[in-house]
Formats: sequence, structure tokens, C-alpha cells
Amino acid sequence: MNAIAFTDVTKRYGDVLAVDGLDLEVPAGATVALLGPNGAGKSTSINMLLGLLRPSSGEIRVFGEPPETAVANGEIGAMLQEGALIPELTVAETVDFVRRLYPRPLPLEEILRLADLTELARRRADRLSGGQTQRVRFALAIAGGPRLLLLDEPTAAMDVESRRTFWDNMRAYAARGRTILFATHYLEEADENADRVVVIARGRVVADGSAAEIKAGVAGQAVSFLLGEQPVAGLDALPGTTGVELQGGRVTLRTTDLDATVAALYRKTTLDIRDLQLHGADLEDAFLALTKEA
Amino acid sequence: MRHYIKVELLRMLRNKRYVIFVVAFPVGFYLLYSNLWGSESDQATGLRGSVLLMVSMAAYGALAAAMMSTAVPWSQERHSGWLRQLQITPLPGRAIILTKLVSSLLLVLPSLLLVGLAAVLTQHVSLSPVRWVELILAMWAGTIPFAALGLAIGSLLPPDTAQPVAMIGMFGLALLGGLWFPESMMPAAMKSIAHVTPSYDYARIGWRIAAGETPHTADAAGILVWGVALVALALVAYRRATVRA
Repeated sequence: MNAIAFTDVTKRYGDVLAVDGLDLEVPAGATVALLGPNGAGKSTSINMLLGLLRPSSGEIRVFGEPPETAVANGEIGAMLQEGALIPELTVAETVDFVRRLYPRPLPLEEILRLADLTELARRRADRLSGGQTQRVRFALAIAGGPRLLLLDEPTAAMDVESRRTFWDNMRAYAARGRTILFATHYLEEADENADRVVVIARGRVVADGSAAEIKAGVAGQAVSFLLGEQPVAGLDALPGTTGVELQGGRVTLRTTDLDATVAALYRKTTLDIRDLQLHGADLEDAFLALTKEA
Repeated sequence: MRHYIKVELLRMLRNKRYVIFVVAFPVGFYLLYSNLWGSESDQATGLRGSVLLMVSMAAYGALAAAMMSTAVPWSQERHSGWLRQLQITPLPGRAIILTKLVSSLLLVLPSLLLVGLAAVLTQHVSLSPVRWVELILAMWAGTIPFAALGLAIGSLLPPDTAQPVAMIGMFGLALLGGLWFPESMMPAAMKSIAHVTPSYDYARIGWRIAAGETPHTADAAGILVWGVALVALALVAYRRATVRA
């Protein structure tokens, strides 16, 4: 069964098309990263999944139901980008209040443990650091034991150490067969924490697969060398080559097959090649290439 | 929802501003003024100063509590993202505004009861039990328009505007209602404004009950009309503030 299904979903704000014909299915139990630059439509999509925004057209289903119904049934927990706590309440009071709003909540102690808050349970919200506040917000997201957990750039305000702990906690929650969708623009996070990466740009899915598949599927690799005064013609016909850029005497060939392109460069041309440099694909390049094309 | 109300009460009782303006001020002023004028008699109502001031300060405290526990906290919750946090839980939207209203009415009680207690203990004010019950119930129910006004302000304005507007509204209503000094001392123009405010009707109902009389129909009607209008405004403003685009 699909935890999430977007069918041709569009969201328009006046003249701006934030989400443009989005089709996406996430089976129950998967951990999926929604990767994209700012303004790609990640937050809009998440807010639509929560029923906070209504699509201009198309249909969204969460476990086969409209988002509002899924929220009312306590199926979804979410950590949105912004969200302050009530300053006068303690961590335990806040978490306990929210968990009691759900029909099948997790026990309070378990939530506090999963979010590393046991030590801070009796501290008031206005005396928490930024990272600690984020942990409370994670605790609120899992408090109801939701089958679907949505995280919108959850580590934006965290330092490296809290980030690592955060993802460990998230994985512990995911390990129970729950579905997780998180938005991020950190490629590393997507690579390390998701089974599947969905790249979106300008409101559309531009790539969808494992991190390895996405790296392989795009012209993220390149070879460059000093061309000098020699002619550039014919280089675009080399095997694997998808693009040629010339800048100040240095030419860069984008390629989907680095080995084939380099071999052909030596065997099939008579060019005098100096200062050859190879650029392997990392997810960063893949991501930039994908979001640029779109 | 019972737990939600409990949480709302807990947080406001821990809020220094609420405690100072709403609990400490009215009781403090009552003690001060009743020592100065407690034994004088008011000509318009025939009440002893200690009784008149008890009603005035309780009315001020109740009015302040109703507005302070609604306008700014609610506006802040909308803007800080706490409202969104609640909207993505199974809590129905109407439960939020209802809880705010009920909590606000409960938060009015400390000022009413403490000022009454101060009057009994320091000025030996004594009313028949029936009169006490009538007075407290009337003054309690009479705060509904002010709580609704506070909620409307909180729904319509961002926190940095809601704060001064609620303050001005609260002190303005207290002043015009004749809670700080008698309406008979007001200049004519101010008097005519005072007569249409809900706080004026509210205080007059209190004074008349304390004097053992039946409240005027005009006063009861005045506050009823204000109540209906402000509750309607609060609901419309709430819908506007929580509408899903």
C-alpha cells in the first residue's frame, strides 16, 4: 500500500507555479528524501500532505485517504520548518499535551528517550537551546506514533554533532516499519539517510531512485584539458559526451562515461592534450546538473 | 480538550505579565483605594466606597484577565508556528478557539475572587450569600465580550501590534467604564462615549447587584448586544486566521 500518492498535483500562488504536475508514490515503510534547492516546492508539497495547503489541481492520498482525514486519524506526524513552543511549559508537559491529542500515542518515556530528551524533561521551553528545541519538535512529531513522519529540513538549525544524533534517532523510529519523507537540500543527508532520493526542481520530479542510480543517470562526470588554439570541432561527437564548454583555452567535456570519453580523446583525435583533469560525479554534481536542466 | 484547558491555565498562571496585571494590580489597587475612600459613600449608587471599589477593581481585573489571556498569547501562537503544530494533530479546529474562550473565562476567576476576598478581609464588606453568588456569576458571565474581543485582536493582528492594541483596549475600556473614576466626573464628550462601551454596562450591572437592586434592562441589553457582536467577530476572525489556502 502506498503511504503517499501525489497524482498530477499542481499548486499555484497567483502567477507562481510552486508545484507543477507532481506525480509521486511512496510505498509504506520506505524512507525517502525529497531533495531540491530552495523554492523547488518541497515545503509546499509537505504542507499539502498535511492538509495545511490545498492543491490547485490533482489529488493527494495518504494511506488511501485525503490528507485532512489522515491528520484527523492521527496517521501523520510532522516537523515543519518553523514552530516555536509554549515558553511557559516544560518539555515533558509539552510532549505529553501533544501525545494526548492522538488516538494511539507512544508512551511519554519512550518519546523522550527516542528524542534524547529524558534529561531535559523538566526544563521550560524558554530555557532550551536551538538544537534542544529541535529535539522537542521531533518528539512532538513522533508523539502520536504516526505511521507517516514528515520532516521539513529538520536539521537546518543544528550543528554537526546534533545532526548525527538526530539522524540516528530518526532511523530508530523508521526501523519500526514507519514511512518517512524528509525534505533537505543537503545531498549528504539524502545519500546517508534515505533508501530513495527524489530530486525535485521547479515543482517537478527530475530524478527518482537510489543515490547511486541518480549519480549514474546524469552527466555529472567531466574531463577537462588545455586546448589552446586547437579546434574544438568534433569533440561533442566523442562517445559519452553530453556537452562541451570552452573557457579561456580550457575545454570541459561533460560525459556519462568518463572512461570511454578519455580513451576516445587519445585514440580518435590528434589533439595535443595538456593538463588533463578528471572530475568524477558526486551527488552534488548530479544534483546541480539535474536542477539546472529543469 | 480537558487536558488542553489544563495546559492553557498552567501556562498563564506561570506568565508574569498575567499575574502582575491581572491578579496583583486589582488587589493592590483595591487595598490602596479602599483605605483612602473606603468609608465614603457614593452619591450615584448609594454604595459604600469599599463596596463600590470592590466591584470596580474586580471588574477591572476580570476585564484585564479576559483580554490579557487571549489577545497576545493567541497572536503569538499563530505567528510562532504553534497553531500549525496543533493543526497537524487530530485536534479539531473548533476545539482550539473553544478552549481559548473557556480558559480565558476560568482565568478571570482569580481576580474576581481575590478582590472579593480582600474586600471581606480588610474592609469587612458583607453581602448576603445569594447576593455574592449573583454578583460573581454576573461579573463572570459579563467578561465573555472582553474575551471575545481579545481573541478577535489576536486573530487579526500580529503580536507586536496586538500587544499595544490590547493594552490600549484594556485600559481604555476600564477608564471609560468608570472603573478608575466615576463616570459623573467625566467631561461630556467622554461621557457619551463611555455610555456605549460594554465595560460601562458591565460595571453598572455589578454596582446595582452589590446595592441589592435589579440591574437595568438597558445595561443587560447593552452587554448582550456587545457580547453577540464580539463573539461573532471573534469567530469570523478565527476562521480568517486559520483558513487553509
